[in-house]
Amino acid sequence: MEITTTDLGLAARVQHLKKTYGTGEGTVHALDDVSVGIRRGQFTAIMGPSGSGKSTLMHIMAGLDTPSEGRVWIGDTEITGLGDLDLTILRRRRVGFIFQAFNLVPTLTARGNIMLPFELDGRRPSAIEKARIDGLIESLGLGSRLEHRPHQLSGGQQQRVAIARALATAPDLVFADEPTGNLDSKTGREVLRLLAEASRDHGQSIAMVTHDAIAASHADRVLFLGDGRIVADHPRQSAEEISAYMLAAEVAA
Amino acid sequence: MSAIATVVPQTAATGPRLAWLRDRGMGASVLVATLSAAFGVVLVETTAYIGAVLQADPFIGDSETLAVVVAILSVLLTAVAMYVAAIVTANTFSTIIAGRTRQIALMRLIGATARSQRGEVGRQGLVVGIIGAFAGTAAGLLLAAVGVQIGARFIDSPLRDFTIAQPFIVLPAVGVALTTWIAAWAGSRRVLAVTPLQAIGGSVERAHDEVAGKPGRHVGAWVLLISGAALLAAGVVLGLITPLGVVVAFFGGILSFTGLALGSVIFMPPVLRLVGRLFGSSATARLAAENALRYPERSSRMAIGVVMGVTLVTMFAVALESAKRLMTSQMTGEVPSDFFAPFDAFGTIMMVLVAVSAVIAAVGLVNLLTIGVVQRRRELGLLRSIGLSNTQVRRMVLLEATHITVAATITGLVLGVAYGWIAAQSLLGSVPTLPDFTPAGLIAPQVPWIPVVVMVVATAVLTLVAAATPTRLATRVAPVEALAAD
Repeated sequence: MEITTTDLGLAARVQHLKKTYGTGEGTVHALDDVSVGIRRGQFTAIMGPSGSGKSTLMHIMAGLDTPSEGRVWIGDTEITGLGDLDLTILRRRRVGFIFQAFNLVPTLTARGNIMLPFELDGRRPSAIEKARIDGLIESLGLGSRLEHRPHQLSGGQQQRVAIARALATAPDLVFADEPTGNLDSKTGREVLRLLAEASRDHGQSIAMVTHDAIAASHADRVLFLGDGRIVADHPRQSAEEISAYMLAAEVAA
Repeated sequence: MSAIATVVPQTAATGPRLAWLRDRGMGASVLVATLSAAFGVVLVETTAYIGAVLQADPFIGDSETLAVVVAILSVLLTAVAMYVAAIVTANTFSTIIAGRTRQIALMRLIGATARSQRGEVGRQGLVVGIIGAFAGTAAGLLLAAVGVQIGARFIDSPLRDFTIAQPFIVLPAVGVALTTWIAAWAGSRRVLAVTPLQAIGGSVERAHDEVAGKPGRHVGAWVLLISGAALLAAGVVLGLITPLGVVVAFFGGILSFTGLALGSVIFMPPVLRLVGRLFGSSATARLAAENALRYPERSSRMAIGVVMGVTLVTMFAVALESAKRLMTSQMTGEVPSDFFAPFDAFGTIMMVLVAVSAVIAAVGLVNLLTIGVVQRRRELGLLRSIGLSNTQVRRMVLLEATHITVAATITGLVLGVAYGWIAAQSLLGSVPTLPDFTPAGLIAPQVPWIPVVVMVVATAVLTLVAAATPTRLATRVAPVEALAAD
């Protein structure tokens, strides 16, 4: 029997992943034989300079893009080859997303945005889920903001609503794409602290793509990508160590 | 990341993506201008042709009354079509400009004045108007030439000296070019509100940001509406004494309807909201309902275009039916079936003619929905990534279209019944009828079912057609687009 993602203690993994764009001389290898797993219950940062393939890796892992070669699992479900509807339902139920900006549907209130994954599923949250959502709303300090629309919220508040929505369904994995990219440093730290807490206190698996060393220093593990390959895999590091590594890599290149 | 947005403005020269978007909006505006110009030209030709036929007829001879009536009707119908076309064009331009905000902001950042930016939009409007005027005139002449050929088969003495080169066809052509220009200018008011700062930073799009209109215009709308309603009521009362009541009611109708059109942003949103509730509380239904109200001004103006078409058709139908009822209210027994034949024929022709305005409104609706989807690509990407399936996308866009057409149809039917009834009542309330020559007095509005059913079916078809292109575009949005930097 094939060994499963769960057996490995992983929330998601990819095997011999390749992604190429174009053909002939213009071929670009965005990902070149990447095999990696995101550990369950951990907060993982995926780092790398622009064009390193970190975003492509995240898109493919999250079922938003398809690989040219290789296999992808979210939990024990292999998502390579799944159709659009199955992928959509998988994202709805088992993956959470936090983007850099434009995270929220502008016509819906904060509450409407948080409940959206359930409503798209055509169901009401169960009692357990309801308690979880109420807890999230409280710990994220959104209680008094629930009936506000996104444009009435500050950038930090919008990101917190996005976090609440991403965590609401207790997904296998939360993907965060530069979640602090649009925030001032104080608000950014706050958002990172909330993500780290979700992982530490509630065992939420989180994968965060970033090029910010300070953001990555909040993570339990830091993966470095360069030219479509994993070039380093470090446990928790300080922002200085991460910066030094990146600088060295940059100079070497 | 905000730096990226300021690097390259997506113009026709640099960005193929926005270039076709622009073509799309502009294409619809050209079509609208072409339709109304062609309609105007055909009506001018028809008027001239009927005049020529009447003159050639040895029995009618120089009877000018009918020719004058036909001419007045042509002018009115062309005016209505141009009015609807102007609303559609203004709407289209303001929608296009909303999508160009970043580009305009960047031009402002570099140093362009708001005035020059707006002037450019106005010029584009004039170009669209001129193209539409030429295309429409050509199409109209072609239709007229075909019509004359067909007409010749039914007339015993062919009109040898009739030519389709009528001088008056210049009027609709020039009218369309000018109204398109003015409409583009009116629709570009938003350009003035764009600040250079909007070129920088990824602020969240504001929902419902077009709500705040000029309060002065709303006062004007209320004044028109109230005075119009007063005249309508006076027309009905006067109509019980003299047929001249219809003149009072006519002006009341024009004033009140102009008030409704100008104040559409006050009157339509409540209707839209009400219709939105009918859709239920599923996620897609709620998203669709919110989308239709996202830009209340846009949706309201768009809806009012459809409202006009439905109102006019319903008005003619109800007026004719009520008039029949008024004339026969004292009669017992069967009315000879061919008694009203010319009456019905006239009514059908008028309904078909005003339906042209409804077609123009439909083009506007298609355009509104399409641009709405194009401008929401990022949001659609977000929704797709958090779990909105393609089927749900399709349902959402269809419901959005349904939302506007249902609201517009209901409003149009109600208004049409009211106006039609008032027209018949104010004209015929005092007219003695057979058999004992007592006036009919007040009657209830008579609603003929066939035109109503035809209209409901037509708007249902319109909804499906209007939703087709936007749906196709919306389902093509990949979830990754939510993550793409601007």
